[in-house]
Amino acid sequence: MLAYNVRIAWKSLRRNPWLTTIIVGGIALGICASTTFTTVRHMYVRDPLPGKSQKLFYVRLDDWDLDRPFMTDGKTNRHAVPPQITYRDAIELWRSKIPVRQTMGFRSWAIVYPDRKISRPYYDPVRFITADFFPMFELPFQFGHPWDRRADEKGEQVAVIDDSTNQKLFAGTNSIGKTLHIKDRNFTVVGVLAPFHPFYVYYDWVSAQKEPDHIFLPFHSAIDMEQRNSFNSSSPAWAIGPVPNTGKGSVYLERLYSESDWIQYWVEFRSPADLSAYQRFVDEYVLGQKKLGRFPRPLNNVIMSMRDVWIDRGLIQPQIHAMAAISILFLVICALNLTGLVLAKFLARGPEISVRRALGASRSAIFLQHIVECELAGIGGGVIGIALSAGVLRYIGKLVAAQGHVLRFDLEMIAVAIFLSLGAGLMAGLYPAWRVCRVQPAVQLKL
Amino acid sequence: MEIGPIVRALARNKVRFGLIVVQIAITLAVVANAVNMILVERAKMLRPSAFDEHNILSVISERFAATFNDPNYSIAVVESDLRLLRAIPGVVAVTNTQFIPWEGVGGNRSNTFILANRDFSSQYYDVTPGFLDVLGMRIVEGRDLRPTDIDDNPNASAGPVLISRDLERYLFGNGSAVGRLLKDHEGGMWTVVGVFDPFYQPFRGFPIEHYCVIRARHTAIYGGPYLVRVKPGAMKSVVQMITPRLLASNDGRNIALKTIDEYKNEFFTSAHVIIGAMTSVIVLIILITGVGIAGVTSFSVTERRRQIGTRRALGATKTAVIRYFLLENWLITNSGIVLGAILAYALNFALLSLIAGTKLDWRYVVAGALLLWAQGIIATLMPAARAAAVPPVIATRTV
Repeated sequence: MLAYNVRIAWKSLRRNPWLTTIIVGGIALGICASTTFTTVRHMYVRDPLPGKSQKLFYVRLDDWDLDRPFMTDGKTNRHAVPPQITYRDAIELWRSKIPVRQTMGFRSWAIVYPDRKISRPYYDPVRFITADFFPMFELPFQFGHPWDRRADEKGEQVAVIDDSTNQKLFAGTNSIGKTLHIKDRNFTVVGVLAPFHPFYVYYDWVSAQKEPDHIFLPFHSAIDMEQRNSFNSSSPAWAIGPVPNTGKGSVYLERLYSESDWIQYWVEFRSPADLSAYQRFVDEYVLGQKKLGRFPRPLNNVIMSMRDVWIDRGLIQPQIHAMAAISILFLVICALNLTGLVLAKFLARGPEISVRRALGASRSAIFLQHIVECELAGIGGGVIGIALSAGVLRYIGKLVAAQGHVLRFDLEMIAVAIFLSLGAGLMAGLYPAWRVCRVQPAVQLKL
Repeated sequence: MEIGPIVRALARNKVRFGLIVVQIAITLAVVANAVNMILVERAKMLRPSAFDEHNILSVISERFAATFNDPNYSIAVVESDLRLLRAIPGVVAVTNTQFIPWEGVGGNRSNTFILANRDFSSQYYDVTPGFLDVLGMRIVEGRDLRPTDIDDNPNASAGPVLISRDLERYLFGNGSAVGRLLKDHEGGMWTVVGVFDPFYQPFRGFPIEHYCVIRARHTAIYGGPYLVRVKPGAMKSVVQMITPRLLASNDGRNIALKTIDEYKNEFFTSAHVIIGAMTSVIVLIILITGVGIAGVTSFSVTERRRQIGTRRALGATKTAVIRYFLLENWLITNSGIVLGAILAYALNFALLSLIAGTKLDWRYVVAGALLLWAQGIIATLMPAARAAAVPPVIATRTV
């Protein structure tokens, strides 16, 4: 029966090619616009690490000034707590056993000295982190593996590089065990990441970098090399004064232990329930520090899940939601348009339907036949629309490539597109099909 | 006039014409809000940065040779680079600074200062004299920085600074900033010696886009960046000369060039995308609604061939028939516009409260209404002409 209906619908669509072109083209445009913009929006708002981002938390301590919160953007209170913490607080937080994993880190420029036959030396931002970073953020490896916690403790000079660096310096071969000269020392490559293009760099709070890092080194080596955060650091006014003489020795070490906020601190919990215990631990630590004259502000330590971090950073442009909403309205227009045209077409077919009804076709059979015709147009328009949308996404992706965003469909979005095209066909077809199946054969057949 | 019969005819086909009304209403709502979004983005893009940006180029010198670890050597190279760049024909002014116009989130810096125990944030850059000339800014009070002001001592804690006019207004109201002291958080005390204007550089969404403090100092650590201003039209020839000349003088580094136009384009990528997308939405939606109106009118012409023939036989002119359909469409369009104006504000309200945006300007609604009138006439004209061509003799036929 369905095959028969499809055949009839196909014939009917072919009988009036112009009208069919307009109907299918309208649906295609509607589907193209709505899937394009809902996909763009989806890329921004979806969970970067499904299942994980409720377990990864970012730690911020409000160590700013008594009379004034950290710089705010004037509209929201988003930035009211400094985005990073001090080194001295980071090493105290490190003592907690509540997180199953934790990592501290920052990003800084360093010079890479490759074999001069391969490339001139060049500057690259290097991310200095501790071992748990890789499993926490699920970075994919093609060769080797991350360094382990022991390597951090023993101060091993090891490195993880990304695929592009491996292509550049080692021609894409398995470079495990090779040496990488950075700044003034040698590092042994222990891992090479697989090509990795997340929509945004989800493991960094402040740098707004456009692509994932190329080189990862252990945090301890940053201190050996006297590296500091090249991208963002800030200190509160209460800690004002020349670098305090803490008896650490070098200027670098004095600054290292100063009140400057420049470390990003992430923790992973076994379950979200550990959050309250960890919050207590952090608050108790800060209360203890208050007795020493630090942390003049009221207690306000913010421990936020990775998902909330992304929303809180405000990088999702509000226009993205607006465009998605407008594109859905666009699809509604296309469906309304289709309803009008289909209604006209079906009603013009009154005599033919009357003959069928008089020969015994039931109302539901007529209804079904016309719904099938609309759905056929919907599917046709949907397929063209999805193909168009893939092209438009690729084009937009190229335009915004400078921002590092990779735009593409995922299964979820294809499902949404199919759902939208079927929905548009159904929405457009319901009323005309209902109208047409109520045609009175007697009236139409009278001469 | 045929208003009475038209309204009665419309009332008989509520759904068919109701669909068109709703379609026109949504079209108006979408068009008005899309135009609104486009103009908001355009305003952002057209906002003048006050800089002569088409003629400015940034030059990055990534130094890797070990000799650069000596700060004195590094600074000597910066000075020699500045001389080399100035000597290139077509170059107007040169400065050594981390500041790059429209860089967005890259190397732009800020600092917190203290004035009379109140602290405030401002953008903060090290520059060498010539900075104002490169960017096309001028001194409005006090004096410019001089070569003798340059202090490369990393522990320097005093010296002259310039601030932007808007920062002066923010800090001192109508009073003068010249001679006042700004404290920084590392104990430095900086004397304001001059005020410059105009300055505008968006800063990661923080409200300090008009505030700037500059100090005379070489930037030798992170790639000794330079800003070079060229004579109009000289960009191409200057670009070709820079890299070979700088490398010839010192090979222990890589040179990278980028024009400020390129930075600005990147900065406004999302604005370009929004404008492009919304423009296509407007064009397509008008097109689709137009096709819909034409289709439905065309159908009602076919359906009423006999009535039209009868009217013609009873003496109606062709113009009268055309007028009938145009008037019918005009009534539909008007109902759509009334509904659409309400819908446009409702959509704007939803966009404003749920997300963010700007209040809808009533002129866009009016412009949208005019557009829809024009569209209605164009879409109806062809089917109406077909109706006018119906011969009166039709009335005499039974089927």
